[in-house]
Amino acid sequence: MTFRATCRASAAVIALCAGGPLAAQGTVDVAIIGDPDTFDPMLSTKDVVSIVTQHVVETLYTFDEGWAVVPLLAADMPAISEDGTTYTIPLREGVGFHDGSTMDSADVVASLERWKDVASRGIAIADNIVRIEATGPHEVAITLDEPYAPLLSLLAFSNSAAAIYPEEIIAPEIDQVVGTGPYRLQAHEPDQYVQLVRFEDYAKPGTEAGERNQTPDEIRFVPVPDTNTRIEGLLSGQFDYADSLSTEAYDRIAASDVAEPVLLEAFGWPVFAVNHKKGLMTDPNIRRAVQAALPYDDMLFAAFGDEKFFQTDGALYPEGWAWHSDAGTELYNLNDPEKAAEYLEQAGYDGQPLRILTSRQYEFHYQMAEVARMALEMAGFSVQLDVVDWATLAQNRDNPDLWDIHITHSPFLPEPALTSSLFSTAREGWDDPAKNEILDRFTAETDPEARQAIYAELQQRVFEDVGMIKIGNFNALQGKARGLEGVHPSPWPAFWNAHRAE
Amino acid sequence: MRSYLLRRLVGMIVVIFLVLTIAFVLVRLAPGDPASLMLGPDASPDEVAALRGRLGLDRPILVQYATFLGNALQGDLGRSLFFNQPVLTVLANRAEPTIFLALFSLMVALVIATPVGIWAAYRRGSFLDQASITSAMLAASVPSFLTGLIFQRYLATDLGWFPASGYGGAGADFAERMRHLVLPSITLGITNSALILRFTRASMLDILGEDYVRTARAKGMTERRVVLRHALKNAGIPIITVIGLTFALLVSGAVVTERVFNLPGMGNLVVNAVLRRDYPVIQGTLIVVAGLYVLVNLATDLLYLVVDKRVRY
Repeated sequence: MTFRATCRASAAVIALCAGGPLAAQGTVDVAIIGDPDTFDPMLSTKDVVSIVTQHVVETLYTFDEGWAVVPLLAADMPAISEDGTTYTIPLREGVGFHDGSTMDSADVVASLERWKDVASRGIAIADNIVRIEATGPHEVAITLDEPYAPLLSLLAFSNSAAAIYPEEIIAPEIDQVVGTGPYRLQAHEPDQYVQLVRFEDYAKPGTEAGERNQTPDEIRFVPVPDTNTRIEGLLSGQFDYADSLSTEAYDRIAASDVAEPVLLEAFGWPVFAVNHKKGLMTDPNIRRAVQAALPYDDMLFAAFGDEKFFQTDGALYPEGWAWHSDAGTELYNLNDPEKAAEYLEQAGYDGQPLRILTSRQYEFHYQMAEVARMALEMAGFSVQLDVVDWATLAQNRDNPDLWDIHITHSPFLPEPALTSSLFSTAREGWDDPAKNEILDRFTAETDPEARQAIYAELQQRVFEDVGMIKIGNFNALQGKARGLEGVHPSPWPAFWNAHRAE
Repeated sequence: MRSYLLRRLVGMIVVIFLVLTIAFVLVRLAPGDPASLMLGPDASPDEVAALRGRLGLDRPILVQYATFLGNALQGDLGRSLFFNQPVLTVLANRAEPTIFLALFSLMVALVIATPVGIWAAYRRGSFLDQASITSAMLAASVPSFLTGLIFQRYLATDLGWFPASGYGGAGADFAERMRHLVLPSITLGITNSALILRFTRASMLDILGEDYVRTARAKGMTERRVVLRHALKNAGIPIITVIGLTFALLVSGAVVTERVFNLPGMGNLVVNAVLRRDYPVIQGTLIVVAGLYVLVNLATDLLYLVVDKRVRY
């Protein structure tokens, strides 16, 4: 074969390869960070599980775009007894499950009973729940031993969710994927794709829950663990939406004709979780020394590189949220090594290493840790930076003997009481009596304005006692195909209204 | 011959048993807990402990080993902790992209390396020889992930000639799946062509200096016949060895390329399994890979018999 003939043959092969089939009309391809290893959102607190399963299973309540609790499978907001302990919840009628059965109160009672037995957030309030009972074919009542205001938020959250299943399939482990959601599971190839198809008999909720128009025929979630591969897939047009992208790619995505960046501002907060159970950080003066020594702005800059992606903000909720307060923030971002040294002296610090547990699973954790280490050493600390893989970190952080600080992050959750580290039962074990008293008042209070005031007290106490060390706010980057509409930016984006602009 | 095969078979069983044991011990020596990872960041220690019990991870390690060994002897490598499927099913589902990727990239490597290696040896010291050596060094020293990223960015994202990643998704037919292997195969083929090229060139150089080659030329044979019929045939054993080893490496070691292109192959599977501490899948993959290596080695040794009639076992 001559050189020219070889070139022609090669060109033909490339043309054949290039001319692939067009994506099916009405399909939305979404790149997610990993495989949802379960379709039972009761059993997982992973965001990737919530992102997928919210299309398949539903809860009694949900959050609207302003994070207010609104009915979903419930017909209305609950009637709450005068003493605040009984929530009577009317259910929507004619709501079908994917298996053809129709939801009634027996399904809801069985599901909520399972939720309090197996779900992290259900277990957390199981002791407060006196009973869950059907008070009619389409009405259930939850009775508590004392008022607990975050109950509705817990029932609405898609993470460790109070999902409603048919009573017939309820078991400690559910092996069928049957919900009432707008999409049903068609196929799941582990680590390859999750294929959801429109549920034709979907009973749409009221408009309070937001429209769920089932616009795409199919939603395909594709696990793509590598960030760069998600970016290339988005920019090549392979994906319509890509979750959790590295901020370095922002300019490249913004310059693309194919895709555009979606910036979630402010998405969440990196935090130095404090070990209150054992070790150095059980001494309040050591905690105050750490709080005083850290250069929060430098840490955020090292972690996120551009002020477009972070805010140096100590408030536990950013401006714009009902929970926002400046209480206690005078202790934030002191960056004062002398003050820290004074605290160390008061603590009688003997040079024992401060163990910071982190990983490079999230590069920004590690980058913050490196800056923190330098600042803490300047203040007089001896620092031991334990950088391990995520699996090791997930195990070691449950052992209070192995760390003093571990680095984590969270999105801003709709209800402060969903932040588990505020509770003394969490792995951090912050059991401060003053904080506990405030927290008890906060969870018992049902008046929204009174709750905001109490939450400000709680934030004040977080700073005073250094219950945890919030580093700042950060923005998350997602990306979407140009022309894709109907997806509200969220830590848990939903695609039931996704469509391409004409 | 029969006793040789019997000895090799016994050796294979010993190797597999050792791999089985070492894999079991190593994955449990590594810190990290699959139950914590499965339940997510807000799970309580009690929930983690309960899940460990359900998965059987709280049993004494010797009991776990005995169970694992007993099941493995019956061909049962256990169930994936994350997928709740038999390990063999999980592996079988991942075999197609990995095997085809290995085959295609080996073809790419051979297409590049064999003619260039032969020509470079034949024209020793020429510009083409120097250029081939330099190219081989370059191909060997540039990591495949970098080549992959470059191809992905320019050939897939910018030019749109190939899919950027994946294996076609739901309902993809065979042609579509193979289309997704084009870029990864070229990436891996280029990287692996370097070793084959160097071996081919070196072997051919040895042979081309032999007396019988000079004799063949003296008898008036054409250069093509001398090189392809006489020299290449005798240079074949080391080349076959390196091709066999390369194939085994490609099947077991395409980890990075599969990762970059998000191919659902065995390499990607084992990386995810390690990150998730999915013990049965890690063990199963190591056993399969070890088995593959010994089989490829055996096949390579048997191929010597075909290539060189002087070889006897």
